[in-house]
Amino acid sequence: MTFSRPVMFRVFPLLAVLSMAVQAAPSPPLQSPLGPSFDEIVQQADSARTANQVSEAIVLYRQAVQLRPSWSDGWMWLGDLLYEQDRFPEAQDSFGHFLALTPAPGPAWAMKALCEFEMRDYSHSLKDFEKWMHGGNQGNEALTDVAAFHTAMLLTQERHFDQALSLLTERAHRSGETPLLVEAMGLASLRMPNLPGDYPPGLREQVWLAGKATFYLSIQEFERGQAYSHRLLTDYGQQPQVHYINGLLLKAQSKSDQASQEFHMELQISPRNSQAMLELSLIDIDKGKLQEAMSLSQQAVQIDPANPETHRVLGQVLLAKGQTKASAQELESAERLAPENAATHFQLAMAYRRLGRKQDTQREMSTYLAIKKRRPAQNDSVKARDASHSPEAPQ
Amino acid sequence: MIALIASAFFVVAASLPPQQASPSSPTESVAQGPGDFDQLAQAAKRAREEDHDDSAIDSYRQALILKPGWDEGLWYLGALLYEKENYSEACTIFRRFLAQNPGNGYGWAMLGLSEYESHEYTRALDHLQQSLLTGLGDNKRMKATVYYDTSILLTRSEQFDESMDLLLARVAAGEDTSTLVEPLGLAALRLPFLPDEIPADSREMIRIAGEAVLALEEQHYADADKLFDQLESTYPDQPGVHFLIGVHLLDSRPEDGIKELKREIEISPSHVPARVRLADQYIKEQKIDLGLQYAQEALKLAPGSASGHMVLGEGLIAKGDSVGGIQELEIARKASPDMVRIHWDLVRAYTAAGRVADADREKSEIERLSKEDQAH
Repeated sequence: MTFSRPVMFRVFPLLAVLSMAVQAAPSPPLQSPLGPSFDEIVQQADSARTANQVSEAIVLYRQAVQLRPSWSDGWMWLGDLLYEQDRFPEAQDSFGHFLALTPAPGPAWAMKALCEFEMRDYSHSLKDFEKWMHGGNQGNEALTDVAAFHTAMLLTQERHFDQALSLLTERAHRSGETPLLVEAMGLASLRMPNLPGDYPPGLREQVWLAGKATFYLSIQEFERGQAYSHRLLTDYGQQPQVHYINGLLLKAQSKSDQASQEFHMELQISPRNSQAMLELSLIDIDKGKLQEAMSLSQQAVQIDPANPETHRVLGQVLLAKGQTKASAQELESAERLAPENAATHFQLAMAYRRLGRKQDTQREMSTYLAIKKRRPAQNDSVKARDASHSPEAPQ
Repeated sequence: MIALIASAFFVVAASLPPQQASPSSPTESVAQGPGDFDQLAQAAKRAREEDHDDSAIDSYRQALILKPGWDEGLWYLGALLYEKENYSEACTIFRRFLAQNPGNGYGWAMLGLSEYESHEYTRALDHLQQSLLTGLGDNKRMKATVYYDTSILLTRSEQFDESMDLLLARVAAGEDTSTLVEPLGLAALRLPFLPDEIPADSREMIRIAGEAVLALEEQHYADADKLFDQLESTYPDQPGVHFLIGVHLLDSRPEDGIKELKREIEISPSHVPARVRLADQYIKEQKIDLGLQYAQEALKLAPGSASGHMVLGEGLIAKGDSVGGIQELEIARKASPDMVRIHWDLVRAYTAAGRVADADREKSEIERLSKEDQAH
C-alpha cells in the first residue's frame, strides 16, 4: 500500500524573484524592546525554513512581520509555510497581506484562491483564480495544474460548464486519468453544478460513467469512451445530457448520421439543450443544410445568449451563408464572452478577410496562433473543427 | 462514534505534554493574563465533562484565542465539533493540532474522518492512510473505523486491489463481516462507489459478489461456488462479473477461468486487469507468446500499470530476454514500490544475471515490506 501526503508545492522561488523588485526600501534595524532584532529574527526564520523546521519558521516569520508589517517577503513565506501545514485560514490572511504590499503578485492570487477553496469560500476563491489567470497563470507546473483544476471545479459550480470542460480537457492531456478528474468531468458534462463528492449519492454511478466517457473523448480514445457511454445509455438513457455525450463521441468518430440521431434524441428529452442544437447546426453546415443550421443556431442564441458558443456557431453559419457583416458581429460577441477561444479568433480572421479588413485579419490570426501555442489541448479540438468547417484559410 | 472519540480522547490526552494548559509555542500565544486562560480552560473542561458541549466549545474557542497553540484545547475542540457534526470547522482545528503534532496518528485519523464527512474524499483518504502509517496504538474501535473508511475510499478512488487487501485483512483479523459485504462486493466488481452510493438496482449483485468473496476467504468453498453461479446466471452481462468469476476459477479450473476472463473482455473491451490475469495464466502455462500478447495489450490500454509491466517482465524473462525482462520489472517497481511480487521477481532475475548486490537490495526491501505489513 502506498501512503502519501497531498502533493505540496513551494511557490516561493518565483514569488521571491517577483517581489525582490518591489521590496520596501531598507529600513533601519528594528529592535524589539524585549528580544532580538528584526534582522536576527529573519535570519533565524530563514535557517529554520531551510532546515525544514516548518513550525519554528512559522513562529519566527510571524514575529518578523509583526515587527515590520511592510515586509512583503515575510508574509509570502509565512503564507507558503502555513499552506504547507494545511492551515488555510491563516495562510489566506498572509497571502492577503502580501498581495496588498506588492504590485506584481505572480502566483500569490492562486495560492490565496486555493486557501479560500479549502475554506469553502468559493466565490472569493473563483474571483482570485480569475485574477491569477488574468495575470498570466504564473507559477510552477504543479501550482498551475492544481490551480487550473480548482478553477474548473468552481466554474462547474457556477454553471460555466463549457469553460470548465475546456480546462479539464487540458488537464486530461497533461496529467492523464485520475479518479478526481473523471468525477469533475462527469459533473461538468452532465451539467451538474456541484463539486466532486458533494452531490446526492444516488447520482454517483451516472457521474462516474459520464466522466469516463468524457475523459476518453477528450483524449481521443473513442472506443473506450463509447464503452462507458453505452453503459450510461443503458442505465440512464432518459436523463439529460446522456444522448448528447454519446452524440459527441459518435461525431468525433465522423459518424455524423448516428451523432445527429443522438442529438435529436437529446432534444426530445431536453428541448432547450442549446448545446445539442449547436452540434446539429455544425452537422447541418457540413451537409450544406444552411437554413436548418441557421434556424437551430438562432434558437440556441435565444435560449442561451450568455454562452459564447451560441454566437460563435451562429457566426459560422452566417459566414457560410455569405452574410459576412452579420457573421462578424456574432463572432465579436463570442469573442467578448470568451476571449481565449481559439476557434472564434480563427473564424473572425476569416470574416474580416472577406470584409477586406486586413489589419483586423492579421490581429485575429496572431491571437489565434498565440492561443494555440499557449493551450495545445484546445489546439487539437480547434484543429478538428477548423478542418471540418473552414472553407478557406485566412491570409 | 461518541464512545470511539472518548476513548481516543483518553489516549491522546495521555500523550500530550505535561503542561497541558500551556501553549506548546509560547511565542504563538497572545499576551493576556494567565488567570483568564486558566479560568476558561477549567470552564471548558468542566462543561465537557458535564456533557454541555455547546458551552465547552465556546470556552475552548475563547481559551484558544488567548493561547492559539494549546494542544489539549485544539484536540478537544476539534473532537467536540466533530461530535456536533460541524465537520468543516473540525477539519480546520485538527489541521492546527497536527501542525504542532505531526506524529499523532489519532489527529490524522480525526482529520481524515472529518474530511470524509465533509465529502472531501481525496484528502480524507490521504489523511486516513497517514494515520495508519503513523500508528493508532491499541485502540481497536478507532482502528476498525479508520480501516473501514480507508478501504471504501480506496475503492472509490479505483484502487480496488489495495482496498481488497485491506478488507481481507479485516476479515482475517476476525472483524464483524456483516459490514464488510458491500465493500467487498464493490471492490471485487471494481465499481468505484461508496456503499451509500450503490445504485438501487445493483445492490443485490454487489451483495452476492461480496458474500461470494467472503465465503471464499472463509474457505466455505461450496457456498462460494453457489454464490458465483448465482451471480453469473443472474447478471451474465454486467461488467465485472466474469472477471471476478474468472479469477476465482483460475486456480481450480484454469480453462474455465480463461473463458470467463475472455468473456469479460467481450463485455468490457478495455478491461486491463482481465488481460493481466490472462497474461499471467498463459505464462504460468508456458504459453509465453500468448501471455506476452495480453500483457502488451494491457499496457497499451494502461501504460502505467505496474501489474502489466510485471507480467510482461516475467514473460520476457521466461522467453530468455533477461535484459528486457529486468527493464520491465524495474518499471513495475517504480510504479508500485510496495508490491512484494515484483521484488521477488527482481531477486531471481538479478541473481540469474549475477547482480548480487542488486538482488540483496531487493531482499532487504522484501524484509522491510514484510515488517511494515506485520506492523499494520
